[in-house]
Amino acid sequence: MRIVIAEDSVLLLDGLTRLLTAEGHEVTGHVTADSMVTALGRADAVLPDLLVTDVRMPPSHTDEGLRAAVHLRSLHPDLPVLVLSQYVEQSYASELFARGARGLGYVLKDRVADVDEFLDAVARVSAGGTVVDPEVVTQIIARHPGSDLDVLTRREREVLALMAEGRSNAAIADRLVVGLPAVEKHVTNLFMKLGLPPAADDHRRVLAVLRWLDQNGTR
Amino acid sequence: MTSADGAAPAPLSLEDRTAPALVSGAAFLRAPFDPATARAVAALAVGWLWSLTAGLVLWILVVVAAALVPVLGLGLPLLALLLVAARAFAAAERERILTQVGVLVPAPAAPVDRGGRWGRLWGPIRDGRAWAAALYALVLLLVCTLFFAVVAALASAAVAAVAFAVVGRDSVVAGWTGLAWPATVTLALAGALVALWSAAAVAQYGSFLVVRTAHALLGPSVAQEAEARALAAEQEARVAEAAAHTARERAVVLTESRTAAVSAADTERRRIERDLHDGAQQRLVALGVELGVARRLADKDPEHAVAALELAHREIKETLGELRDLVRGIHPAVLADRGLDAALSALAGRSPVPVEVEVEGDLTPAGSAAQAAAYFVVAEALTNVAKHAGAGTARVRAAIVPDADPPRLRVTVSDDGRGGAAASPGSGLEGLRGRVAALDGTFELDSPPGAGTRLTVEVPCAS
Repeated sequence: MRIVIAEDSVLLLDGLTRLLTAEGHEVTGHVTADSMVTALGRADAVLPDLLVTDVRMPPSHTDEGLRAAVHLRSLHPDLPVLVLSQYVEQSYASELFARGARGLGYVLKDRVADVDEFLDAVARVSAGGTVVDPEVVTQIIARHPGSDLDVLTRREREVLALMAEGRSNAAIADRLVVGLPAVEKHVTNLFMKLGLPPAADDHRRVLAVLRWLDQNGTR
Repeated sequence: MTSADGAAPAPLSLEDRTAPALVSGAAFLRAPFDPATARAVAALAVGWLWSLTAGLVLWILVVVAAALVPVLGLGLPLLALLLVAARAFAAAERERILTQVGVLVPAPAAPVDRGGRWGRLWGPIRDGRAWAAALYALVLLLVCTLFFAVVAALASAAVAAVAFAVVGRDSVVAGWTGLAWPATVTLALAGALVALWSAAAVAQYGSFLVVRTAHALLGPSVAQEAEARALAAEQEARVAEAAAHTARERAVVLTESRTAAVSAADTERRRIERDLHDGAQQRLVALGVELGVARRLADKDPEHAVAALELAHREIKETLGELRDLVRGIHPAVLADRGLDAALSALAGRSPVPVEVEVEGDLTPAGSAAQAAAYFVVAEALTNVAKHAGAGTARVRAAIVPDADPPRLRVTVSDDGRGGAAASPGSGLEGLRGRVAALDGTFELDSPPGAGTRLTVEVPCAS
């Protein structure tokens, strides 16, 4: 598939390009957020199958990449975007997921080094799934003082965290080394306990979970 | 006559200086041999002659002029002229008293010049101090005449009594007392002693009176003195105000330097974060990718896998070098272990431009904060020399300036490059300036275009 990467570190851009090319993808690289927006910022632009972007880029080295991603998503709501960040920040995540979670990913840059996991994230996001870095989930859950998540069992909390990362029931079952029916039971239970409406597909479920955590979190 | 020590203000009172015999018993016992007595007699004698001539002439003319005033006002210009002369007379008297008695009589304020013909005429006539000086001439004449006469009489009596005792046995006066000759001689000698001591005491008292009168009539008037005191008080207040102002300015400087220090530290942290983010972190991620690729390709494409590994290996080495530079930039180990002297040599060794290092004496007493500041100043300066100056050689000098309090560590970095350097906001030099200011140091950049750059920084040593 066609992938556009925006990354200001030439070294890393090189590595990612070679990695993804070796996997049979067609890769275009940008070293600034501006050139990426120029290339994709028109309504009739030829869109890639996935956009991978760094958060911090020149000129100001703050969050240009993230803002560019949010801007491009508002132009092309169906463009899958995977945001890489040196630091995961819950506030960045909230901004990114404010308009939906379909085909969106937000992962710590370090995960890239774990090539298999990175390729998995690339595949999932480009297929319309959601990927949220476990670090972000940990940060979000950390904002909940014990009480309101106390209604959940330990296992249900693990399931909640994995759901928030954007994993499917099958993936959760795989990760926790339990059967699929057991995961489905945990999901139903925790949705009931938190008062969330049942959601059919994974990304809508992620959004519901994230939103619940966000709204019930202490600010 | 004591003209040499006369002008020196002694902590003695007027009585102590002019009439010690009237103040202390010991001084009275030695009165005839006291230099003060000699000074007093001389002052009375000269004062008498002086007042008898100049003073008397002045007074005769004043009386004549006053008498002429009713005659068509003819006396007025003469009177004005005489009062101006009285002022001059007063000045001469003050000088004479200083020379002869060694007492400084302060001069009164100069008369107000009202300008114009009438001003010139009325100015001296309305000048109170001039009238006081004229009055002084009269008083001086009376006092000097009286005291000089008494002193001369007493001294003559003493001389006569002694002469009588020596050669007067056969004189007619020998029998006046009706006493035996030895008793008469004893009486005469006793009289001589009394006369001599009285003459000395009277002379001293006379000179004291003259000086007192001069203070009252030739010195500043009461109003002028009050004005002078008010002026002095005002000046004192101004000095205090200036001190307070300086203190306030100092407070402002300290506040600014503290802000600069905080901002310098903040800038420094941001720079380190940026360096780590853009450098080592990216390299390590890229390294991870290379290794991941190598692992994936290991089985099916060993050749590409080896190429990826080689790339990864090179990146590790580069990352290590970058980390080493970064760590050195945070706090160089050589500075902590071996001190500034060695650290400067290390800096010079790394500089692409040849650097000559000159260290005077032992820099260890400067303390670690001052040494660290000096180190970073030199490091930044040498970086600038290499990057911008286009210099052929550079020179680093470091020394402790011992005569400052507290002693200061001074470093100078100079080069023969193109000059024109400036500590503009956001530049490394500006950061250094903040760092130096935080230590209460001085930062001097001299970089005329085309004539090289010289940076001199001084920081106080740790006390």
